[in-house]
Amino acid sequence: MIGAGPTAALATALGANTLSPAGAEDHVDGIRAELVVRPRSPEAVRQAVEVAAAHGLLLVASGRGRHLDMGAPPARCDLLLRLDLLDRVLEHRAEDLTVTVEAGCTLADLDRRLAAAGQWLPIDPPSPGETTVGGAIAAHLAGPLRASQGTVRDLLLGIETVSGEGRIVRGGGKVVKNVAGYDLPRLHVGALGSLGVILSATLKTRPRPPVERAIETWCTTPRAACDLALDIRDAAEPFWLELVSGDGGPATAVLAAWAGIAEEAGDGVARGLRAVARAGRDGREVPDAAGRRAELAGFALQPAAAILRVSTLPDRTGAALEAIAAAAHAAGAGVSLAAHAASGIARAAVFDEGCVPTILCALRRRDDDPDASHIVERATPAAKRRLTGEADPWGAPGAAAALARGVKHALDPAGILATGRLAGGL
Amino acid sequence: MSLDRLAVRLRSIVGEDGVADDAGTLLAYECDGYTLERAAPELVVLPRTPAETAAVLRVLAEQKIPFVPRGAGTGLAGGTLPVGAPVMVCTSRLRAIESIDLRNRRLVAQAGVVNLWISRAVQDAGLFYAPDPSSQGACTLGGNVAENSGGPHTLKYGVTVNHVLGVELVLPSGEIVALGGAAEDRPGLDLVGLVVGSEGTLGVTTRATLRLTRSPEACRTLLAVFDSVDAASEAVSGIISAGIVPAALEMMDRLILQAVEAAFHAGLPVDAGAVLIIEIDGPAAGLEPQADSAAAVCRRHGAREVRVARDEAERALLWKARKRAFGAVGRLAPNYCTQDGVVPRSRLPEIVREIAAVAERHHLRIGNVFHAGDGNIHPVVLFDERDAEEVRHVIEAGHEILAACVALGGSLSGEHGIGVEKMSQMPLLFSPDDLRAMTRLRAVFDPEERANPHKLFPDAKVCVEVRTPRRRAAL
Repeated sequence: MIGAGPTAALATALGANTLSPAGAEDHVDGIRAELVVRPRSPEAVRQAVEVAAAHGLLLVASGRGRHLDMGAPPARCDLLLRLDLLDRVLEHRAEDLTVTVEAGCTLADLDRRLAAAGQWLPIDPPSPGETTVGGAIAAHLAGPLRASQGTVRDLLLGIETVSGEGRIVRGGGKVVKNVAGYDLPRLHVGALGSLGVILSATLKTRPRPPVERAIETWCTTPRAACDLALDIRDAAEPFWLELVSGDGGPATAVLAAWAGIAEEAGDGVARGLRAVARAGRDGREVPDAAGRRAELAGFALQPAAAILRVSTLPDRTGAALEAIAAAAHAAGAGVSLAAHAASGIARAAVFDEGCVPTILCALRRRDDDPDASHIVERATPAAKRRLTGEADPWGAPGAAAALARGVKHALDPAGILATGRLAGGL
Repeated sequence: MSLDRLAVRLRSIVGEDGVADDAGTLLAYECDGYTLERAAPELVVLPRTPAETAAVLRVLAEQKIPFVPRGAGTGLAGGTLPVGAPVMVCTSRLRAIESIDLRNRRLVAQAGVVNLWISRAVQDAGLFYAPDPSSQGACTLGGNVAENSGGPHTLKYGVTVNHVLGVELVLPSGEIVALGGAAEDRPGLDLVGLVVGSEGTLGVTTRATLRLTRSPEACRTLLAVFDSVDAASEAVSGIISAGIVPAALEMMDRLILQAVEAAFHAGLPVDAGAVLIIEIDGPAAGLEPQADSAAAVCRRHGAREVRVARDEAERALLWKARKRAFGAVGRLAPNYCTQDGVVPRSRLPEIVREIAAVAERHHLRIGNVFHAGDGNIHPVVLFDERDAEEVRHVIEAGHEILAACVALGGSLSGEHGIGVEKMSQMPLLFSPDDLRAMTRLRAVFDPEERANPHKLFPDAKVCVEVRTPRRRAAL
């Protein structure tokens, strides 16, 4: 329990109306928060962390809470820091293709702002209306666009954070090219807020492509679909390239899209369809390519006991999907499958909570792909409780575990930031 | 351990020809592309393999000897200048491209592989390695990783960190760690991102797993001629605002044009205020409209001429002129030094005016080559190294230009790194808390501060001797 002292200190520093007792919804992986803090300014965030550090309170930072089901459960959650009030777009320099934005701004709000200048931030995580910029960075969220646009890791230019000691730490800058000092910004990508509370970030923007068109075809197996997808990629570099098998089934859809000015998109579609025809398959253009892409991005947020993620090389994506389907079949579980084919990222939605550890361990025991890693990307609190030992959500910490521990200690010496959420219990 | 005994011990690892400790040979290592400060190492060791590199570092760890990692020595910020580090560990003999996976667009190469060899190895398959620093015919992958190198085509394709998926790093302790790997999104912290651009202060990179990029199907290279840098800068903003992201958007001012034209006869207008080289690449289908649109923007901003390279030979000549611009400037003065700063691209006209003012204040001639699309400026300062007073002005002018970049919202370095040259200016950009976070991170990898000591971070203990250089470094 948080004592009266720390609560009073927080109230004094931040104002009582910034604090509220945690409700039933205020939990991380079922670990109930004690107190919810909703700071109204970057300085208030810093003060909250400072008070937490002084009193040994463990905190988890969150934007709108939509992605808190990622990672391992925190050791504790004394404070849940909600950053949704830090939602300003601080500076959009359209002619420089950069934007500086506070962590709590949603991707949808940012998109509206950038669209006015004909630009966008070319990342497409699921649920942009409930996903904040800070969350997209901390959880390294991405969608189909990663095939051509990279991820937020590639777009991040600068970051402002609060360290575990309550100090403002900045890295990078506001210019598109910068090698001064260590690359602190990238260190926060995917760190789930364990190295600092993200206050704001500067990101590259891009011109919004005027036209986006997509095609679809079907193959009888995931492997065949993967092969065809890479043939399509080699025929015309796609904007995005996805595999989907909604019922986990061998039949797998390949979806590919091209974008740019009308000539570019049209040329891509024509070449893509020719590659499909060369493989002896039927392909067709699908309406509303951008809408279809958003749907595909949403795969990771569908109601399921868990979302498993396999990262491997692109040409093994089909085999990875087949391995998941086989493991699920053996466990008697229903799954739904999808993959970012150009990036080698395969996902499975597992609907039966009890089967998650079995499937995960079966995949990890396979030795046919030394480059593959298998993690539980998201899970319900009940499913996560079963993810222990060999079925740890992250798997065994790798060779660099000692360095990772050192990095965590360097930026959060007291271990108060989202502790427990990362691989290796960091 | 005496230096002689150390040399014997290291020779037993790397072979007789892998250690240099005679004064004549060591002289070649006394500076990199930054020639204003010089210091020769006491011993240079050139391992042949990653395993030998680790063995060398284990010996140095045992003896607690500081060292400087070095690739081809093309760095421009004095990053490989030995300061308080008697031993230089050169990775230039780690020359193997170990594996190529065309289907997955991955390549594993050792640190001493020259940047251009990578693209050459895969060009027949229609792929290339995107970062293309101007020194790409000489600079090595290990150095590219250390400096997070860029090049003219970073505007569209990004810099080294966007193309490195894994690195093998030998820690100063001699321990080998594999960070990242061939697959994207590996679980765990992004330590690859931390190592890239760490300027050799976290250890020695011995291998890297790279992402290859599909070669553009076609490209259009335009040359736009302007009466002033201001007009050219406005055209740059205009092109970006028109929704075009060129593969490259380069600017050269009059002084550079004259030098380049004298050297290469590329048909550049020597009376122009500035020229832009605009390269648009991608699928052939979309190129013409984009090239037309970029040309129209240039004309609207006062371009007196817009030329399109008619064929590959014309394009190659333009790029040769641009990439060897620094060398061409060598014709204008006994010595030159290239600066590297960044401003938001919309502030280019202001920084150019500032550079002109600095030049006037210090009675120096300064030409300008920019990666204009990135706001990355490369002022080239001409001088005569025999004139100690002028050398002092060169150093001061450099600091003033960088301070001006920071004041305009930019950075101290876009692609060359901090090295020794700019470490004293880091506090302009970073607070004590920012710098403390970085030095703590360094201590995680190198608790004894033996890997490239006295670099990158401001350090009161260091006083590099600035003396009259004996020779010009090869570029």
